[in-house]
Amino acid sequence: MRAWDILRSRLRSIVFRDRRESDLSEELQLHLERETERLQATGLSREEARLQARRLFGGVEQIKEASRDARGTAGWDALVRDTRHGLRRLLRDWRFTTAAVLILGIAIGANTAIFSVVNAVLFRKQAFADANRLVNIYQNDRSGKPMIVIAYAAYMEMAEYTDVFSGTMASSIPNPVRYLHDGAIRNAVAEFSSSTYLKVLGLQPSLGRWFDETEERPGAPLVAVLGHQAWTRLFHADPSIVGRVIRMEGLPVTIVGVGPATLRGTLDVGLGTDFWMPITAVPAMMPMGAPRDAPTILVPLFVKARLRDGVTVAQAKAAMDVLGRRLADEYPDQFRNSGEFAIGPGITVLPSADVRVHPQADVPFMALASIVLFIVGLVLAIACSNLATLLLVRGAARAKEVSVRLAMGATRRQLVRHLLIESLLLSLAGGIVGCVLAWWGMRALQTIELPFRVDMNVDYRVLAFAIVLSLVTGVVFGLAPAIKATRIDLLQTLRDEGLQPIDHRRLTLKNALIVVQVAISVLLLGGTSIFLQATAATRALRVGYAVDGVAMLETDWRFAGYSESAAKTAHDDLLRRIEAIPGVESAALLRGLPMASTGMSIVVDGATSQPGPEVETHMIEGGPGFFDTLRIPLLYGRVFDARDRADSPRVAVITEAMARKYFGAVDAVGRRFRLQVDPNSWTEVIGVVRDTGTGDFEDDIIDPIGPTYYRSYTQSGAQATTVLARTSRDAASLVAAMQRELRAVDITLPVITAKTMAQRLEESQTAPTVVATLFAVLAGLGLVLASIGLYAVVAFAVARRSREIGIRMALGARSQQVVSSIARGVAALIAVGTGIGLFSTVLLMLAMRAGGGSADIGIGNLTVYRPSIDPLALLAIAAVTAAVGVLAAFVPARRAVRMHPLVALRHE
Amino acid sequence: MSDQTDVLQGTLDLLIMRTVALEPMHGWAIAQRINQISDELLRVQQGSLYPALHRLEHQGWITAEWGSSENNRRARFYGLTKAGRKQLTTEVEKWERLSAGVNLLLQRT
Repeated sequence: MRAWDILRSRLRSIVFRDRRESDLSEELQLHLERETERLQATGLSREEARLQARRLFGGVEQIKEASRDARGTAGWDALVRDTRHGLRRLLRDWRFTTAAVLILGIAIGANTAIFSVVNAVLFRKQAFADANRLVNIYQNDRSGKPMIVIAYAAYMEMAEYTDVFSGTMASSIPNPVRYLHDGAIRNAVAEFSSSTYLKVLGLQPSLGRWFDETEERPGAPLVAVLGHQAWTRLFHADPSIVGRVIRMEGLPVTIVGVGPATLRGTLDVGLGTDFWMPITAVPAMMPMGAPRDAPTILVPLFVKARLRDGVTVAQAKAAMDVLGRRLADEYPDQFRNSGEFAIGPGITVLPSADVRVHPQADVPFMALASIVLFIVGLVLAIACSNLATLLLVRGAARAKEVSVRLAMGATRRQLVRHLLIESLLLSLAGGIVGCVLAWWGMRALQTIELPFRVDMNVDYRVLAFAIVLSLVTGVVFGLAPAIKATRIDLLQTLRDEGLQPIDHRRLTLKNALIVVQVAISVLLLGGTSIFLQATAATRALRVGYAVDGVAMLETDWRFAGYSESAAKTAHDDLLRRIEAIPGVESAALLRGLPMASTGMSIVVDGATSQPGPEVETHMIEGGPGFFDTLRIPLLYGRVFDARDRADSPRVAVITEAMARKYFGAVDAVGRRFRLQVDPNSWTEVIGVVRDTGTGDFEDDIIDPIGPTYYRSYTQSGAQATTVLARTSRDAASLVAAMQRELRAVDITLPVITAKTMAQRLEESQTAPTVVATLFAVLAGLGLVLASIGLYAVVAFAVARRSREIGIRMALGARSQQVVSSIARGVAALIAVGTGIGLFSTVLLMLAMRAGGGSADIGIGNLTVYRPSIDPLALLAIAAVTAAVGVLAAFVPARRAVRMHPLVALRHE
Repeated sequence: MSDQTDVLQGTLDLLIMRTVALEPMHGWAIAQRINQISDELLRVQQGSLYPALHRLEHQGWITAEWGSSENNRRARFYGLTKAGRKQLTTEVEKWERLSAGVNLLLQRT
């Protein structure tokens, strides 16, 4: 009860502060009046009585202060007072305030935006029921590291272990699929899963149901579960979606349910899964992925299982080890694979909670995220040191105010608190501006066409991150300047006549901060140069095939309900029409997009290459007229023509690199190889063509592909989808003309891709261009921030030395001498900062070169670009930094020498 | 004036509570009453009365209400609460023990 009273009285005091203040004044006033009256009654004059009453009473303000203290609200009052005072002060110095808030806002905004991306990719946890009983199961590679489960059959064997697992589920890595929506073809992400998927995770569909066992049988009618996000985004959360039939990859698929709202996908690395389909739908949905006559569905699967009560991870592991050896005996073909899916007999079982994406990928993923956060953190570091510089400069400029207040009896603690509140206000304002900028920046990021869609939003973690960031910035970078500002020699400062002792120490806090800022900016510029180098390297790469005047048009006959024979007639008709367009020199039919490659393991006939008979190659789809249209020169033999049909012997055209590497001679015509997964796929080499680059940036720089061969779509058993044509005129107008011809053939045929070859090459470079731009923006930001800091420091130094400068000018010093005396100090700072920055850049480049150039992330290799150290680029960076720095210092220095000596002498 | 004694730190609370226990009073009247009753032996530093009043009010031992003073001005009248009455009893006991102890000490030495 008493605690409540105290709380209420305190709350009332806080809430009704103004009334309480006037009450207190009135109360004390009444006392003084009554006392005066009493004393007057004893015979004193009114004036004497008033003075006497005051004397007896004591200091009114002190009593007021003591009364406030007695209520325990003094701290709060001081806070309110300091905040008000601080706000007033900041509004008055609006130039300084705007600069500081913008500096912080930009830095915090950039950090929050990047953190949102990292958060979307790495930190969000999936909510599974009783998650600590879930384990992940992986087949190992030959060196014993966990890989992935490579075949449906292997998963089915694992699911048999019902004495160990109460449930087992599998889901493929996300795959691109296409579906027809509102008359247009859209790209989506599909997972191929088991019917047990949701039950094992302990989740419920938000609408309808998951597909069942009968729908998982091979040959069952196609069904799909829609992802919750796709449902709300694409179908406006329409509940009538359940039971609707949509066309995916041209085939009718029935939607049976909508997934849980909390489930974004099995991997959940920002790629929201749009459709879940049974694993048995793989052959229908991915005709390119695996050979049709393969004995089992080969698809990379993630397998999770729920342990039976009382079963430990070690027991599960022991059971799986037995299975691993049996699988190696039963499916020898799967274990003979080399390259991407080279698995061994070992099996790894790990608690699901210990794995984020994949045991092999988690470390590089985290490393990548840390690098990105580190880079953006550098910008924040610049901003913070910048703010500290500004506060230091401002603190020094306010030395007189501070010393007056100290002399008036303010304690140092009060002053530090006051200054700290000012910097906290600044950083909070910066934080708010930062959040707005981050929100705006993320919307901008999402409009960029990336090959994948990252689902980002500002969640509580991101907000907390921004707020903590701004508060920490405020305290850490406000405290040092505040303490420094209040540690002053009272007498010295008050006596100050403008002749300040010049600080000759080299290693002051301000100088160190400037050096750090310059160094970080240089490092960021260095990073930009690395990315620009990587982009330029791809552009410079010999493309080796025709780009100018080449256009492509991709459709899919299945979406318009064509039978195979009808499709053949229709696309032959389309080809003839396009060949007849004026200016067209050559045209060809194709499956998929030109120069897109697929990794394939092959076995070369009579080869003696080590370590095994299988070797890695990449396959590109071609066809009759393909090499002519793309002007790829034939060296030996022949190219594809009408002789190569589905029922004729398989043939291939190979590149000279493959001929040299796997057949030992450029003229390899007549030699044979087969697909590793299919013993009956012997293919004869009919021609050898010149090497070319490919259609994708990744294939050339990120992950250079191995030797390449071409097969004809006419032998793949699948329909052509694309017409490729070369014109002597403008490629863009050819694209339009080709679309007109497509509509003339059948108005209902969807246009999937209609672009020029030049556009396709350009688009494949989107990701590296975005990264390079991001880096350049960050570097530019850093440089701008650093030059603001430089400007502030020089302006301050000049202001403090105005009197000295005035004297020197009055004594006849030339303005050049004065400017150069100021410039010397600044130049030294820039030189040291640039030196440190360049040194770190070279270290970074050396580290990237020494890094082996490859990072194995378990599912394919990521080859890291190895930069060359380009002295010219480094020189350019140094020059830019020096120029910006000198400019920042020059402006205030010039103002100093332009000042009239008399003004300068009188300057305080 | 020199024969007046400054009120001991801590005993001011006791004096205030004892004074307002009779009837609600405003600040100046409390100071006067303490002076009168103690036959002008005790002198309350008038200013120090107010922080003490606010502290006691904050602790919930006295309450304050606005009323009108003898010269018809708005004044804050302080009165004892139930908790204050209990506190007064213990304070009085404590004081009696203390003064008895001090007296004893002074007489025997």
